[in-house]
Amino acid sequence: MTLDPERIERYARQLVIPGIGREGQERLGAARVRVVGGSSAAVPGILYLTLAGIGAIWIDDPEPVGPADSGHWIFPPHTVGEPRERVVVEALQARSRFVLLEPHRPEAVPTATVVFASSAAQAVAAAERARREKVPHVVVEWDGEGGSVVTVPLRAPCYACGRSIGGAGRPPSASASALSALAAEELILLLADPAAARGRRIDLTRGVPSVRATARLAGCACAADIER
Amino acid sequence: MPARRRARYWVGQMPLSQKSALVIGAGGLGGPALYTLAAAGVGRLVLMDADAVETSNLNRQPLFGEADVGARKAAVAAARLRALRPDARIEPLDERFAAANAAALVRGVDVVIDGSDDFATKFLANDVAVAARKPLVHGGILRTTAQLLTVVPGPAGCLRCLFEDPPPPDAMPSNADAGVLGALAGFAGALMAAEALRLLAGERGAYVGRLLTFEARTARARLVMIRRREGCPACRTPAPVA
Repeated sequence: MTLDPERIERYARQLVIPGIGREGQERLGAARVRVVGGSSAAVPGILYLTLAGIGAIWIDDPEPVGPADSGHWIFPPHTVGEPRERVVVEALQARSRFVLLEPHRPEAVPTATVVFASSAAQAVAAAERARREKVPHVVVEWDGEGGSVVTVPLRAPCYACGRSIGGAGRPPSASASALSALAAEELILLLADPAAARGRRIDLTRGVPSVRATARLAGCACAADIER
Repeated sequence: MPARRRARYWVGQMPLSQKSALVIGAGGLGGPALYTLAAAGVGRLVLMDADAVETSNLNRQPLFGEADVGARKAAVAAARLRALRPDARIEPLDERFAAANAAALVRGVDVVIDGSDDFATKFLANDVAVAARKPLVHGGILRTTAQLLTVVPGPAGCLRCLFEDPPPPDAMPSNADAGVLGALAGFAGALMAAEALRLLAGERGAYVGRLLTFEARTARARLVMIRRREGCPACRTPAPVA
């Protein structure tokens, strides 16, 4: 996908960033991202993916908007009870005509995945599916006021290698918006400049991030990914 | 923590619905901060922005969409937030944060969030908040780097203890020249709101006297301790003896 003058104006602040540039913006425009989870905690991340110019975003969330979502970002009180997928798609599609937002279809094959799952089991399953599909992915673990973002480029240690031992912890709080935006940022940088991407885990503890490289666990099935 | 020391950072024990915040700028930093504060249940939000929505804003300013280009940011932001929180008092101000209005605005709220994008406004917000003894959450972003600092009355330093004065005009690249990673602005703005919520809840802020710098490409964070600087024109009093 080449950048036309409208897109150049729209993404002017990104095009001058090292690691994105014109080529990176074109990669973002060509990307098809499956988003697992569309709750109020996930929406900031989905919104920033939309604003960044990801080509297609597929929302995968079978739940309705819940009372806990009400008042958050794109969920006015009257949306409670409506399907999250539809509310997210309609609200965010209005933000950009350069991005296609749709509910996820089971047969659709993404070029990347971001996981905002509400449970550890769902996060593990979604990350494993992404690994088997051989697409880079980013996984968020909520843990009360903090949490973590695990970035898994191709051939990097998988999410099972980098995740918290206990999995996701307490329900997300006000810092969830920050963590969600951080996950979007990680995916944007990964997609724009895949050669520079490294497997890493960013922990957010009381507002302060810290990063470490992920390491492959002995005997993990993802070691076979290096051969692919 | 001793009760007297802890009390320094308290702004009361009322519920969030009775708390208020002034957010300077409704753009890349102020937008996510406003969304987060509204979602958390802050009862009164005063938002200031004297600009109109431009196309080049749309990669990072979450309160605005394509249909808003040309409209006034303060009005659009207020309408979005009112739709989400009909019970909250949303007060848009389509004007600049300036010496003539700053003191009254800061005195009228419980916490100030500075999401402005120019140094003169940042230093004015710092000076007025310090003088009014109101907590201030400062944020800045350029290219792939964000920084945050919380200024509260007490032994911790303020923005002017660190930088003394704004840089000369043209000494720093503009957003247009250097770029801004939109999602990083979202990360920083949401962190600013979470920090304000800590302060409103009576907790010690995470960035009180600590400048957090985060670089997105390396994901490396750095915390620099900021102590009150003797002779700081904002803090005025001599630094405490260590």
